[in-house]
Amino acid sequence: MNARKATPWVVGALLVAGAASVGLRWRSQHETELKRGDSLWRLTYTVEFAAEKAGAKVRAAFPEDTRHNRVFRQDVLYSGLRAERLRQPFLQAREVALTATHPGKHSVTARFDLHLTRRPYFRVRPPDASLTADERAALLRSEPAIQADHAVVAAALQEARQTAAPGGDLAQRLADFCHTAITRGDDHAPDDAVGAIQQRSASPLGRARALVALCRAAKLPARLVTGFEVKEGASVEPHVWAEVLSGSRWEPFDPENGFMRELPHNFLPVRRDGGDIVRVTGARDVRAAFAIVRLPPGPGALSARRRGPLSVLDLTRLPLEMHEVLSLILLLPLGALVTAVFRTIIGIRTFGTFTPSLIALSFIFADWRTGLFVFGVVLALGLLSRSLLDRLKLLMVPRLSLVLTLVVTTIVFSVSVLDYFHLTPSAQAVLLPMVILTMTIERFYLASEEDSPAFALQLLGGTVVVGLCCYLILRWASVGELLLRFPGLHFFTIAALVLIGRYTGYRLTELWRFRDLTPPPPSGGTT
Amino acid sequence: MKLFARRSWAWPRDLRARGLLGINGRNGDYVLPDNPRCHYPRVDDKVQTKRICEARGIPVPQTYAVIERQGDIRRFAELVRERPEFVVKPAHGAEGRGIIVIVEHDNEIFRTAGGHPYELADLCYHLSTALSGLYSLGGQPDAVIVEQRIVRHPAFERVAVGGTPDIRVILYRSVPVMAMARLPTRESRGRANLHQGAIAAAIHLHTGETYGGVCHDHVINAHPDTGATIEGLRIPFWDKLLAAASNLADALELGYVGVDFVLDATVGPVVLEANARPGLAIQLANRCGLQPRLEFIARQPADALAPERRLELTSALAEMH
Repeated sequence: MNARKATPWVVGALLVAGAASVGLRWRSQHETELKRGDSLWRLTYTVEFAAEKAGAKVRAAFPEDTRHNRVFRQDVLYSGLRAERLRQPFLQAREVALTATHPGKHSVTARFDLHLTRRPYFRVRPPDASLTADERAALLRSEPAIQADHAVVAAALQEARQTAAPGGDLAQRLADFCHTAITRGDDHAPDDAVGAIQQRSASPLGRARALVALCRAAKLPARLVTGFEVKEGASVEPHVWAEVLSGSRWEPFDPENGFMRELPHNFLPVRRDGGDIVRVTGARDVRAAFAIVRLPPGPGALSARRRGPLSVLDLTRLPLEMHEVLSLILLLPLGALVTAVFRTIIGIRTFGTFTPSLIALSFIFADWRTGLFVFGVVLALGLLSRSLLDRLKLLMVPRLSLVLTLVVTTIVFSVSVLDYFHLTPSAQAVLLPMVILTMTIERFYLASEEDSPAFALQLLGGTVVVGLCCYLILRWASVGELLLRFPGLHFFTIAALVLIGRYTGYRLTELWRFRDLTPPPPSGGTT
Repeated sequence: MKLFARRSWAWPRDLRARGLLGINGRNGDYVLPDNPRCHYPRVDDKVQTKRICEARGIPVPQTYAVIERQGDIRRFAELVRERPEFVVKPAHGAEGRGIIVIVEHDNEIFRTAGGHPYELADLCYHLSTALSGLYSLGGQPDAVIVEQRIVRHPAFERVAVGGTPDIRVILYRSVPVMAMARLPTRESRGRANLHQGAIAAAIHLHTGETYGGVCHDHVINAHPDTGATIEGLRIPFWDKLLAAASNLADALELGYVGVDFVLDATVGPVVLEANARPGLAIQLANRCGLQPRLEFIARQPADALAPERRLELTSALAEMH
C-alpha cells in the first residue's frame, strides 16, 4: 500500500485509538468508587497580610502524603507575589515560599484535596529515621519553649519514672504523665514546657512541648508535629502532637487526646519542626485561617480497585509534585504541532526547528518579564560580541564555546543587575536554554552576513511569533492537567501530525510568493 | 492589456489552475517518494558529484586540490602558487555559501571577482572555518575543493553583473522538465542565487532561448542593473547541456533533481553541482507551473523514458503552458 492510500487508514486508526483510550480513562475515573471508610476532603489555607515593603515573605507548608492520606490535587492562588517551591528532605517537608513584589495588602489561598483512608494502603517512601550525630543533637537540644535542661523538667522526669504505672517503656510513661498529670488549661494556660509542668495545666501546645522536653531530658530524640485533625469545619485550628524516636521508628503521641503510638487515620501531619503552618515575615495584619470541607467522590481520587499493571496508564496516581512537570512535558507535543502548522501550512521560517518551542518552554519556568529581559540582553550582547569576535578569526568550535561562555555570564550578571534594582528573579527564571541561545546568535549573525540583515530579522520575527504561540499553548495549565488525566488525547495530536505530514497543498506564504502567477483578471479590467 | 496583473496574493485555485508546484507538494509528492535518502550524499558532497561526472565523461571544473584536514591549510599557498585564478568551495556548502572566486593574486594578496582583497591569512581562516563545518548542512566537518575558475561564456556579456551566470535544469525521471538561466546582479554580489537578489530567465526547452524572467519573486523582462533585455538570448551548446543533465540524473539515481551548469568559453556546459531539493522560483521565471509537466512524465510508459527518447519528451514539454 502506498503512502497516499495508507494515510487515511493510519489516521482513522489513531482517531479510534484516541477516542477509545479517552473513553476508557473517562469511565474508569468516573466510576471511581471509594472504599468503605475512605473519604475526600478539601483543606483550604487563607492568608491575608499587609506587606511593609517589597520582599515580605510567606511560607506555607503543604500537607504530607502518608499511608492514610494522599493529596491528589493542590492549587496555590496569589497575585503580586513570586512563588518558589521548597523541599526539606530531612523534615519530609514541602513548602511554598511567596515573596511580595510590592508593599500593600496581599492574600494567598492554598487548596489541597485529600483522600483519606482508614486502611493504610497508600504507598509512601518510608521516612528515613537514621540520624546523623548533628541531627540527633538537634532533636535532644533544649529550646526556648522546650527547656529540656531545666531543673523543673528533670524533677518531672524523675516523678514520671516513679509514679507512672509499671509496664510500657519510658516514652509511653512520659506521654501518660503529660496526658494525666498535666490538664488542659484555659486560654491563659502556659504553652511552654516548664510552665506546663509547674502549673500542671497547659494549652495543647504546652502539653506537647512538655512531652518533647521530658523525652529530650531522658535522651530520647523527640520533635513536635503540627498538622490537622481532618473533620468538617469552616474555621479549624492546627493541632500539635509529639513524635519520639523509638529504635528506627518515629512514634506519635498526642497528650491532648491521649492517642499513643498510633494516631487516628484523620490526623494529617504538615510540619515536623514545631513551626507554624503558615509563617509570614516583614508584614503587618497577618491573618491565617484554615477550613476543611468534605468533598463528594469525583475524578482525581485514587481508585482503590485497580492495582494491576494497567494502573501505569493512570498518570494521576503519581505524586502530586510530579504533576506540574509531567503536564508541561505532555504539552510539548502541542508546541511541536504549532511549529508544524506554522512551518508547513503557513510557511513561516524560523531559526532551528524546535528553537521557538524550547525557548517558550523555558519561559514557562521563568516569569516572562524576567525571561524576556534576559533574552533581549543576551541576544544584543551576544550579537555585539559575535561581530567583535569575527575580527579575531577564531575556529568555529572554540568560537561557539566562547559565545556560550558569554551567554552564561550575561545571564548571571543580568540576574545580579535585576537583584540590584530589587527585582530578584526566581531561580528558575534563568534556566534559559543557553546552548540554543548560542546557536541562535550564531545563526542570526550568519544570516545577516550571508544574506541580509532584513532576512535575519525576518527569521527572528518568525522565531518570535512561533515561540509566542508555543508559549501561549504551554502555559495553558488546564490543558496540561487534562492531558495528564487523558494522555490518550495525544493520539489525536499524532493523527494531526500525520495529516500535516501528508499535506502537499500550498503554504499560505506561497499564495503571496507566487501571486504574480495568477491568471489575468477578466478582460476590460486593466488597460 | 497587461498579461500579469500584480496582486497582493493569489487564491489556491488560481495557482492550481496554472499548475504551480508548492514546497509541500514538491517534498511530499516528488522528493520523498523519488529521491532515496541513501543517494543524497551524491549531491550533497560536491567531491562525490564531481567524481560521478568524471566517470560519466561529463565536464566539470578541473579540481586542483581537495583540502580535508586543518593541517593541509599550511600547504595552501604552495598549492595555488602556479594558479593565477581559482575557486575555493566547501564540499557540503548550500546556496553558494562559502564560495570565494579568486581572479588574481601575488601569493600574499588574493583579489576576488568582486574586487575584494583577501590576505593569505584571511583566506586560510576562511578555509579553516569551512573545514570545521560552518557552511555545511548540519554543521558536520567539511572538505574544501580548490578548483578551476570557469571563464564566462561571451553569450552572457550583457546580462551578468559581477559574476558568472549559471543554468539550472530540473529533471524528473531523468527527463529535463524546466530550465532557467540565473544571472548575477549587483544586489546578489555576483552570486547566481535567487534569494540573494540574482535574477532568472526561463529557457525554452526546445530552442534553448531565454524568455520571461523573475527577480525577488516578481516577474521582470529586463536586467535591473543594465536595463538590457533578458529575452531572446540563445544558450550555446543547448542540446549538449540537456544530454549531460540527463546523463547525470541517471547516474545520481534521483528521480527529482536540479542540475546546475556554467558555460565555459571553451569547453561549453560544465556541471557545478546538483540539488536534490531544487527551488521553485523557476516556475515564476517560466511563468508556468511544474505540475502538468511532472504529471505528463509520470504518465509515460517506461520505454518512453529511454535515454534516446527523452529529448522528444522534452520538446513536447516545451510547448506546455
